[in-house]
Amino acid sequence: MKKRAITLTINGEEYSLNVPVHHTLLQVLRDHLNLTDVKYGCGRGECGACTVLLDVGKGKRKPILACIALAATMDGKSITTAAGLSKDGTLHPVQKAFVDESAIQCGFCTPGMVLKSVSILEKNSKPTEEEIRFGLEGNICRCTGYAKIVTAVQAASKKMAAGKR
Amino acid sequence: MAESVIGKRIPKVDSREKVTGQAVYAGDMRMPGMYYGKVVRCWEHAHAKVKKLDFSAALKVPGVVKIIGPDDVTKKPYNTTVMKLLVPEIFGEVFGEIADLNIFNRVVKHQGDAICGVIARTEEAAERAAAKIKVTYEPLPVYMTVEASKAEGKKKNGYLFTPLKPGNLAFDLPESFFPGKRYGWNDKDGKTAEQLFSKCDYIIEDTFYVPKQKQCQMENHSYVAHYDERNRLNIWTSTQMPKPVQVLIAELFELPLTRVRLTQTTVGGGFGVRLGMIGEPHACAMAMAVPGHPVRMEFLREEDWVASETRYPGHIWLKMGFKKDGTPVAVDAMYSARKGGYYTHGSGPPFCAAAFLHGMYKWQALGMQTEGYFTNEVPTGAYRGYGNPQITFAAEQMITKMCNELGLDEIEWRKKWHKSIGDETWLKGVTFASDGLNDCLDVAAKEFGWYEKKKKYAKQTGVKRRGIGLAVMQHTSGAFPMLLEHSVCTAKLNEDCTVELIQQISDLGTGGHTVITQMAAETLGFPMEDIHLKSGDSDMCGFDIGAHASRTIYCAGPATIEACESVKKQLLERAAQLLEANVADLEMKDKIISVKGNPQKSISAVKIAKEGVYNYIDAATGKTIGIPGQIQGYSSFFAKHCSPPYGACMSEVEVDIETGEVKVLNLVNGHDIGKAIHPPSVEGQLEGGAQQGLGFVLTEEYAYDSKGRVLNNDFTDYKMLGPSDMPKAKIILVETAPDPIGPMGVKSCGESALMGPIGSVANAVYDAIGIQIKEAPITPEKVLKAIKEQGLRK
Amino acid sequence: MASSRILPEFELLLPQNIKEAVSALGKLKSKASVMAGGTDVVISCTKGFGSPNVISLAEIPGLDYVVYDSKKGLRIGAMATLQQVADNADVKKRYPALQRACAINGTPQTRNMGTVVGNIMRASPSGDCICAVLAIGGKIVLQGPKGKREVNIDDFYLKYRETACKADELAIEIKLPAISAKNAFARMTRTTLDLSKVNVACSLVMSGKTVKEARVAVGAVAPTTIRLKKVEAILKGSQITDEVLQKVVATVPTEIKPIDDVRSTAEYRRDVAGVMVKRIILEALGK
Repeated sequence: MKKRAITLTINGEEYSLNVPVHHTLLQVLRDHLNLTDVKYGCGRGECGACTVLLDVGKGKRKPILACIALAATMDGKSITTAAGLSKDGTLHPVQKAFVDESAIQCGFCTPGMVLKSVSILEKNSKPTEEEIRFGLEGNICRCTGYAKIVTAVQAASKKMAAGKR
Repeated sequence: MAESVIGKRIPKVDSREKVTGQAVYAGDMRMPGMYYGKVVRCWEHAHAKVKKLDFSAALKVPGVVKIIGPDDVTKKPYNTTVMKLLVPEIFGEVFGEIADLNIFNRVVKHQGDAICGVIARTEEAAERAAAKIKVTYEPLPVYMTVEASKAEGKKKNGYLFTPLKPGNLAFDLPESFFPGKRYGWNDKDGKTAEQLFSKCDYIIEDTFYVPKQKQCQMENHSYVAHYDERNRLNIWTSTQMPKPVQVLIAELFELPLTRVRLTQTTVGGGFGVRLGMIGEPHACAMAMAVPGHPVRMEFLREEDWVASETRYPGHIWLKMGFKKDGTPVAVDAMYSARKGGYYTHGSGPPFCAAAFLHGMYKWQALGMQTEGYFTNEVPTGAYRGYGNPQITFAAEQMITKMCNELGLDEIEWRKKWHKSIGDETWLKGVTFASDGLNDCLDVAAKEFGWYEKKKKYAKQTGVKRRGIGLAVMQHTSGAFPMLLEHSVCTAKLNEDCTVELIQQISDLGTGGHTVITQMAAETLGFPMEDIHLKSGDSDMCGFDIGAHASRTIYCAGPATIEACESVKKQLLERAAQLLEANVADLEMKDKIISVKGNPQKSISAVKIAKEGVYNYIDAATGKTIGIPGQIQGYSSFFAKHCSPPYGACMSEVEVDIETGEVKVLNLVNGHDIGKAIHPPSVEGQLEGGAQQGLGFVLTEEYAYDSKGRVLNNDFTDYKMLGPSDMPKAKIILVETAPDPIGPMGVKSCGESALMGPIGSVANAVYDAIGIQIKEAPITPEKVLKAIKEQGLRK
Repeated sequence: MASSRILPEFELLLPQNIKEAVSALGKLKSKASVMAGGTDVVISCTKGFGSPNVISLAEIPGLDYVVYDSKKGLRIGAMATLQQVADNADVKKRYPALQRACAINGTPQTRNMGTVVGNIMRASPSGDCICAVLAIGGKIVLQGPKGKREVNIDDFYLKYRETACKADELAIEIKLPAISAKNAFARMTRTTLDLSKVNVACSLVMSGKTVKEARVAVGAVAPTTIRLKKVEAILKGSQITDEVLQKVVATVPTEIKPIDDVRSTAEYRRDVAGVMVKRIILEALGK
């Protein structure tokens, strides 16, 4: 087939799409749907700017790369982007921590970085600094040296733990 | 009065839009009728002639609108840089800026040179068509080293990169301006550095290699250009230098400034790569070929490596002479750089390397030569530090070695011999107004545990050896008097007594928009929320030279402050008139202006602002209520100093002597900021700069094949330190030496962060194994080879 | 050559079961690439090395298994991701070499997408899973039009990027034997996130302090990942003494044929491969 009709849920909204099978998820998000919060950084799965969270059931999500995922193979899937993390104008605790800790400079890696950080904390709510750093591998930031990003993830981890209590 | 926001750890003004992914970068723009533009580049060759260009098959691709080649665009050559606007004419002659680049080229001078452009309805159509364009090349020999380029240039009919620069010599320092072709000065008796070596007790001489490093900003170069129905050329770009680039575009396409509108989009990192034009000429040329349709053009990541500029690589030779007590006497030096295929910044960064060597220590005489030869490499240009990382890598290793060999404490030596208040800075004629280096050294040494570690690591056995290293640096805050430092700000008082700041501030992620807003709020005594900075639109903003030379807060901040002071003054003057009081007796607090000591005698600034705008005239009496006229403050500010900040960096490494691997364990960087307006932003500059500095010294460099093609034009093989590779970095903001000239006491921090990590890690490796690795990056391959050949020396 | 954000056009086949996949592959043979996680296939496409047909295994249910049996050993299905294998408790306990090779492979995102079988099939000389599996020993289960066959990992890699898998065969599983051998994997890279400039793995069956059986693999030092037969012979029947280790370090360079590339130099690889083998032996033995 050259095109495929798929159903894709993005940030809770269901889209019925007819996608050329050679189009990547990134292309579909940015160029078909104008969802430009997902960034093109390298196109080869090296930088993480296009990270999205893929729902894998049971309330679990894992980060994948939109630039090397074929949209046509994602029929029935559900994904979250940075724009979908905040609800009704309230930032996700990880987003809030990025803002509060000034973990954002140019902002280009930020959407992917935030989603990656969310996935780290969803898998392990109390990661060590080393685990955070290793978990952030694959998301390149050229501005911050990662210092404040690590601090933000630690801060979010504490806040989220306190929120659960 | 609203609580002061200066020095507070408040959220940045643009963080919310960035954290939700709503900030708009040029590549995110979608407009009605928009086409896509694709530049076709030469990937096969680094040096070739275009023999034939065949668009016929490509034009048949559905969706293709137009394909334009060298004959379809202006043949006016250009230079990517904005130098000619920045430097006074006299310096222009010295640097000899030339225009040697064309939008589309018939001769390829480096891999990635642009050949033609495809405009299509979609990116996919543009890509498909681009793949069908047939370009026939005649390959030419490639010159990848200074030696090869020099030798070729010497031949009578040797190939010349440009007839404007005979012998392939892109630049050196002209004898007419620099006696002996050297930048520097002679001692009080007129003796040159060379002449003084005979009086020295200790002479050290060495050659270092500095790498071709890439900025690797995360946002790829992207543009939207639109030649609209009013015959105006609109361009949206993330350039660092919006105003000068607007001027360059106007000149290139021979349009008046009224017909060129440049909008700076959110800048996804700069680090110097956007200090001039990159893809703007191509985007504009394509847009002008399809009037009425916006054209979006986005670089691929790999295009960035071949079609934008890099750091200047090359060899630095240094000869230093001292008295046996360590008194610095003379330094002679030469920076021989590989220029790449085009002139771009010419001698800029190597000249500045000389300048920063000049600005650091109290030599009696100093002379530094620089030269650059054209090569078939990606052109070199501006990269954070602009020559300073290179000279710091070499010079700080020499200073440490000298201290070791003369048995001197290297901290104390640096305290004693660095330049201080009243001494000449990196540029002749400008003297230091403040100096916080000793404090930087003290706090860093304490935090780092320098002397404890020095003792602890003195005698080591085993496979993993620790070492500690120190490097200091001085940089600049703007580039007065070498470059123009002009910024304009208009502060418009809205009728609700909030303020619209209209000022071009290039915030590359640095926090510039936040800090400028803080400065405005502080000056006016208004809350931050009542200030909005309108930046980025050339139709609206006054002149600003752009973000370069760590200048933004230091040079543009005073314009903001002056404009806001003017608003405040006008408010007070009107209040004085209305309250029948003297301006000098008034104070403003929470937007209430009152007579000092008599709070009952007061008037609201909100009322004054409102009445200034909504000033109705009573038809019967002809009188007005309040004072008419919307208040605006204005400043056109020219910086007249460059207040260099100092910094001291200490790092600790572990070297695996069986594999040569170097791990940076921790890093302490004390920075002489003067005053940190927004401390997290300053820390962010230093933390992020460390990542780039460590990359320079450990992992980052272009790799080329024998045909001059880049082997590592991706993140798989161009290696930057990742989150797990970065050491714990402790940044200490030293505020004990506020600058008397800098606004609110500030000195710069944008570029300062690279030098310390570079020099200190090199010195730490030297400390661990007793061998200096003189070629950056210091890879395990080089370390192990050195250990094998020279044996451990410690 | 230039790459592109836009992939070349291809036909996408989404077989719903293995039979359909094998049948499609049987018809298209080398005109098709098989895509599991897509981390290699899509990137190859961006570089212009696509094939006219892509057979995606994404919609074949039940291929993402990682199953351990104390007698039969470990079975990894074609769609089991690197992260799944890295997180598997049995793999952590019994096959630490493979666990490590999966856990450091690529990035968290590519580990969620890429598969172990895909890593094996890519046949890169620096492939981390390949190195681990070669040291542990194992079989690749291939299914073709004529049925299933199993190829021993020792016989699987023929030359640079070439395997014993025929164009009409689909790799559906990797089998690792149930072992009691102590095994470990390590690699050397320029930065944490990188491809290996050298990787090493070993698997040692011990009898008290004596090595009964040894398998040692090293990657990125020859056209394929290789076993170091001379080193294995030195180890077999020996106790791990400084003297034996010194012999190992000296022998490793004689068994490898590294090259210069953008990641390292032949000289350096020769210099450190022995050290890395020495260290991995000690690590496997918990020393």
